[in-house]
Amino acid sequence: MAEVRLENITKAFGHVTVIPDLSLTVPDKSFTVLVGPSGCGKSTLLRLIAGLEQPTHGTIRIGDADVTRDEPSKRGISMVFQSYALYPHMSVARNIDFGLRLTKMPAAEREARLAEAARVLALEEYLDRKPSELSGGQRQRVAIGRSIVRNPKVFLFDEPLSNLDAALRTQMRVELAELHQSIDSTMIYVTHDQVEAMTLADQIVVMNRGRIEQIGSPMDLYDTPASVFVAAFIGSPKMNLVSGRALGRPEIATIGIRPEDLEVAESGGLEATTRVVERLGSDTIAYVRVDEVGDLTVRLPGHMRLSGGERLRLHADPARQHHFDADGRRIERVTA
Amino acid sequence: MTDMTLPPDHRPALGERLRRAASNGRLSAALILLPPALILFTLFVILPLGESGVYAFYDWNGYGAPEDFVGLRNFEQMFGHSVFSVAVANTVKIVAVSLLVQMPLALLLALLIYRQTPTNAVFRLIFFVPYIMAEVAAGLIWSFVFDGNYGVTASIATSLGIEQFFVLADRELAFYAVMVVIVWKYFGFHMMIYIAALQGVPEDQIEAARIEGASRTQIVRHVQVPHIRPAIAVSAFFAIIGALQVFDVIIPLTNGGPSNQTQTIVTYLYEFGLTRLRIGFGSAVGVVLFVVAVLVAVFYQRIFMRKGTA
Ligand SMILES: Nc1ncnc2c1ncn2[C@@H]1O[C@H](COP(=O)(O)OP(=O)(O)OP(=O)(O)O)[C@@H](O)[C@H]1O
Ligand SMILES: [Mg+2]
Repeated sequence: MAEVRLENITKAFGHVTVIPDLSLTVPDKSFTVLVGPSGCGKSTLLRLIAGLEQPTHGTIRIGDADVTRDEPSKRGISMVFQSYALYPHMSVARNIDFGLRLTKMPAAEREARLAEAARVLALEEYLDRKPSELSGGQRQRVAIGRSIVRNPKVFLFDEPLSNLDAALRTQMRVELAELHQSIDSTMIYVTHDQVEAMTLADQIVVMNRGRIEQIGSPMDLYDTPASVFVAAFIGSPKMNLVSGRALGRPEIATIGIRPEDLEVAESGGLEATTRVVERLGSDTIAYVRVDEVGDLTVRLPGHMRLSGGERLRLHADPARQHHFDADGRRIERVTA
Repeated sequence: MTDMTLPPDHRPALGERLRRAASNGRLSAALILLPPALILFTLFVILPLGESGVYAFYDWNGYGAPEDFVGLRNFEQMFGHSVFSVAVANTVKIVAVSLLVQMPLALLLALLIYRQTPTNAVFRLIFFVPYIMAEVAAGLIWSFVFDGNYGVTASIATSLGIEQFFVLADRELAFYAVMVVIVWKYFGFHMMIYIAALQGVPEDQIEAARIEGASRTQIVRHVQVPHIRPAIAVSAFFAIIGALQVFDVIIPLTNGGPSNQTQTIVTYLYEFGLTRLRIGFGSAVGVVLFVVAVLVAVFYQRIFMRKGTA
């Protein structure tokens, strides 16, 4: 059982409070993703869990133990860094079993674990190479291998895929999801890529300025964002956010409409002029301008005939709109 | 890594290469920029070296032209002279102390203060002061420290209630005192090299090692030292070459004494070549020192400073 509980965590660097009073429970065996804009404190939170930083106040529990004052190596965690942090002078095999050698594990056991990790991560051919002789994806796998062999209760990842190109990132994303299924440990994963968050997570934690904006499953956040911030952060292309006044609903501060919830209508709706049309094959993304309302993004079927400068009418299903008050909080609509 | 030279069979002929160099302006650049450097280098390095190479075979007091050709006699005298053996042994001891005491000490201090904090900056400055101090000044200061009547050693003797001792006049102790001063004078230089190198070690590798359970010393041994190996190779090189040339600290401290127990190769050269006006003999010592330094430089670079090992 390796649930991670943060209780009233505060973290200040000098006079700057980066995390003010944060509490969070990461369920055992979950894949929890921390997302948020740059500088919101995701890495700091992860490093607090790892023990690389000490909280100013608050308690950190892993499993049943209070680990707040424990050394990183005593917490049963392992961490994969954005830069991979491989030791350049050691071979892949030494990089992976470095920690095991330090603990003086019996050689047979150590070799078995190394072999198993190499097999799972398809690194068998590369064990004698130096990190500089590997591709980015292979280095990433070595870094993951180094985590796996220690059998941690909790895996921590700090933007592990952000140095990879798009294709490799997609592939590694799938491999990480498989890894989580096969070793069922708790995983805490930091990213600012919302696609990674949506695809990998059981639970997403959206952070903003050191606070938690919302916690929930990917589809919860997508369907019922609790604030304008979450609405804008989750979903690609981004949700359209329009003032209520412009849509004739002055009692609502902000109305959110997802690009896929707008459709082309024969009559009625909003009159729009297309500015740019992007064809992605499966979808067509149109950026349009609506007088009095502003610029909107619309997701249309892939074979839609449309070009820049065209006039069209858009209809937005009122049942699929998101309403927010002046503070940016969600207003629950009374569903009939 | 980015060696742009083509394999030999693809290499264009010399004439072709010259023509290319001429057409892209490299040749004219070389022709314009090379002569000043070459002339200066010849005037101030090659010629003096060559001259002392010649004087080494003469008995010459420095006045007039050297006329008394004596063949290898200067070298024979030198190698037969017991003080020269002492000087060589002392120089070897200085090399050993530089490598085995001074460098580890410098590394230890560098590890303690390499991070950028205000207190560390103060310590860095303090540790670096001996290095920026003039050698003669340092020697004088330490000669006061070791003074048996008024120095720090005198106070120590008094407070311990033992008889006053004169370190620099003691045949056994004097050279230890000299080595202490040399370590004190130059460790700051090596420390600075290590500090610069340690700051280049990625912090996340150290953190990764901490997570894997490495202790402080294990991190030093398995992560930091391997990273700064090239810097250590360079600092050891400077330590050896510097040790071969120790001179100006010794003159104010002991002037080579007592009874020549603290001579080094260079003080020996000075004492028996220059002050006694035996320029030919001094040149012979200089030639030997030069050959040793060149051999050290060449072999050191070959062995320790190649791309693969560094
Ligand atoms: N050691 C430190 N000293 C002072 N301030 C720090 C330190 N580490 C982080 N901060 C500050 O804390 C805030 C949060 O940093 P953090 O690295 O956690 O952000 P992040 O969410 O991981 O951002 P990114 O997505 O860019 O990685 C930033 O404003 C940063 O400047
Ligand atoms: Mg970060």
